[in-house]
Amino acid sequence: MKRNRVRLQVLVAAAAASATLARPAPALAQTADDLFDPNTLHEIRLTMNTRDVRDLRAKYLENTYYTADLQWRNIRVRNAGVRSRGNATRSDVKLGLRVDFNRYVTAQKFLGLKSIALKNLWQDASMMHERLAMTLFARMGHPAPRQSFCRLYINNEFQGLYAIVESVDSSFLTRNFGEDKGYLYSYQLQSVFQGEYLGEDLAAYKDRFEAQNHEKETDAMLYLPIHDWLREVNHPDDGVWRDRVEEYVDLAQFVTQVAIEVFVAENDGLLGATGMNNFFLYRAAGTKRHRFIPWDKDSSFLFFDFPIFHRADENVIFRRAFAYPDLRDLYLQVLESVARSAAEDGWLEAEVARTAEQIAATVEEDTRKQFSTDEYFEAVEAMKKFAERRSKFVLEEVAAARRRR
Amino acid sequence: MTNKHILLGIAVVVSGLACTRPAAGHGVQQAVPIDRQVVQAESPKAATDRGDDGKDAPTPAGTEAGQEAAKKTDDWGFRWTDHPSLRLGSGTRVDFRLRLQGDVQHSGVELTETGEDAGSSVDVARRRIGVDGEILNIFDYQVERELGDDDDPWRDVFVNYKQFNFVQFQAGKFKMPFSLDENTGATNLDFIYRSRIASLLAPGRDTGVMVHGRVLRRGALRYEAGLFSADGDNVRTNDADRVHGERTVAARVLAQPFRSTDSLASDLAFGVSFTTSELPEGVVDLRGRTELGDVFYRPEILVHGQRRRIGFEARWRPGPFSIKSEYIRLSDERLGQSVEDTDLSPFVSAGWYVSGTWAVTGEKKAGGLDSPSRPLFQGGVGAVEVAARVERIRFGSGATDPLASNAPRADVVLGNSNHVQTYGVNWYVNRWIKIQANLVRNAIAFPDQAPQPSQPVFWSRLIRFQFSM
Repeated sequence: MKRNRVRLQVLVAAAAASATLARPAPALAQTADDLFDPNTLHEIRLTMNTRDVRDLRAKYLENTYYTADLQWRNIRVRNAGVRSRGNATRSDVKLGLRVDFNRYVTAQKFLGLKSIALKNLWQDASMMHERLAMTLFARMGHPAPRQSFCRLYINNEFQGLYAIVESVDSSFLTRNFGEDKGYLYSYQLQSVFQGEYLGEDLAAYKDRFEAQNHEKETDAMLYLPIHDWLREVNHPDDGVWRDRVEEYVDLAQFVTQVAIEVFVAENDGLLGATGMNNFFLYRAAGTKRHRFIPWDKDSSFLFFDFPIFHRADENVIFRRAFAYPDLRDLYLQVLESVARSAAEDGWLEAEVARTAEQIAATVEEDTRKQFSTDEYFEAVEAMKKFAERRSKFVLEEVAAARRRR
Repeated sequence: MTNKHILLGIAVVVSGLACTRPAAGHGVQQAVPIDRQVVQAESPKAATDRGDDGKDAPTPAGTEAGQEAAKKTDDWGFRWTDHPSLRLGSGTRVDFRLRLQGDVQHSGVELTETGEDAGSSVDVARRRIGVDGEILNIFDYQVERELGDDDDPWRDVFVNYKQFNFVQFQAGKFKMPFSLDENTGATNLDFIYRSRIASLLAPGRDTGVMVHGRVLRRGALRYEAGLFSADGDNVRTNDADRVHGERTVAARVLAQPFRSTDSLASDLAFGVSFTTSELPEGVVDLRGRTELGDVFYRPEILVHGQRRRIGFEARWRPGPFSIKSEYIRLSDERLGQSVEDTDLSPFVSAGWYVSGTWAVTGEKKAGGLDSPSRPLFQGGVGAVEVAARVERIRFGSGATDPLASNAPRADVVLGNSNHVQTYGVNWYVNRWIKIQANLVRNAIAFPDQAPQPSQPVFWSRLIRFQFSM
């Protein structure tokens, strides 16, 4: 009897496995929310021609695309385009990757996504900076790319711990703003830029604000609004500054993003060490108004006592916006809200602990990471310390700032 | 000097010649057939035209009539019949050639994305000079150069050993033995541009050696087989990062089963041809272009293995009518090119055309219309012919799965195809001048890859003025 039961179980299991292999499970059962489920350590497998893998590593500084099949759970996406990505994080040891599902098949999407980034977490010893920062943005209701962790395999060879990052593209815009017809730009770091006027030549704007859509439109259509915005930002007349600038940018949204970045001690964001960096700019269809979208937060969580006015005077936009009492109040208010939210029921500390528990074993197994496993554990301890002390520090700084007013 | 000036110059020269030269067959020169034959032998297709034009329009080289005529010109000195010719004794001569073509084109593609309308253009399509002739009645030769083409100025440069009709040897740079349309001389084309399959899939010229000849009764079977350094200039661009066929073997057999009869079917010909070449690993150097050069397909497909072509052709020219048709299939292997390092199905490009002509002024098509019996201003209007062609060219995998992709390693390749209709009028004003007008309809299957995605169907209007001697 027992033997029959075991045999039946084996048969059922075999039948189930056979059905899974024979035909793809209905994709409708899975959504992008499942892919970005932070409670799951995912597994992504890329299949590539061995020559392409060799070329990809050899030419990791180039943006050459290669064909790959991507497998997640029981969904296999064929003929995706894969290329090396990142700036300082590019590596031939642990490849940073961008996967475009519609690169070769125009209408192809994966769970409704046109593309994802597979970040190699190269610069962050704790490997959790970006995930936690973006989670905090989302917690504060600020549109930000979703992220989750995965174990990445290329041709069945383990590549290490990666972050699956939602691309800022039309899918992202639709999800967050309900439309995607506007103009999206990715900021490209060229040299220190603090919001200065770049002159009449639109080429200067084209270099820094890389159009992500409407690429075939004229430079005037694409870049004149950015030119006009920065010209107004640098207009000498304080009396008309706000009205003119707010025609082109949502100042409240800008200040809010800066506040959240400052809370997470972001050293490479809107008030970054090398000027403005790591953001997208979106101008909704039919308007001249831009808004900022955060990107790439692996340089955040620098240290818990990161000052709340660090480099506040260096950025033209922030400096002049901060002169308006309501925007200054908003900044402090957002900082206070973020600090309280992060501290609420020990949320940030719990997130750090939970994330560390989720990825620790994979990090140890990851032989391609830049930092040692010991350094990882040290970085996690630093994160725990940050989570424990940051809110208190920020709240004190906010209170002090209010007192000084 | 602008193109318009050049065209004007051509027109002036042409008018002068038309008014001053005697009509063929009515003047002092009785060598018109020879000269006409020479005109038709204006290119390496010489070797191919030789058979294609058959008994009604043989070239001087390799034909009994030609050799006999050449012997009659057993003299020394400079001659001018249809063209300048230097006679150097028995069976040896140098003929000087010139061909000018000017085009007026109106593209139907509206390049609205860049705010630019392709509109009309005037262009000097060809400025070709050359010499050809024979040596001691046993060698043909031809040297032809395109003026203004600094990258690849030499067209046909070859010598042909022709002592025996059943076996001849040719070496140099010339068109490979593949495709009826591709091997028809530019001056004898029924349309301004060759069919898409001939222009894009047939190999074209390359350097090599070839054996050819006519066998069976009255030469009813013609054969050509050669070895070439690569697989032709038609499928090769300047993009050094792309790959094309390397050393190539090409062969063609053309049968005229009723050649020995006097029936209408005597001109009926069927042919088959093939090429095979090694294809190195890399992105294939193929592209789909319209007759005016607008690209509708540029694959990024990775290939490796063998490139094979096969072509079938048929031609019949009863009286003032003609009909011809071809099918060409080009297949590129993709060994080890899948994402799993396994073989992919071959990348296949294929197409066909059917064309017909009618000489409304009554000339026999097989005899050639390029030397009209009643030229303009000499008792007639020249020869007038109407023509139509339907064709289709397709790029894409031979697999049938609808999940096609543009990926370099896709098994099912999302290609593209173009369905083309061409309607034309050819006016052979006199033996030197030909004017052609074509109306062309292109219908691109996948507009995303069309020159203008919002305009998958477009018409173009073309006029060509041609002067050749």
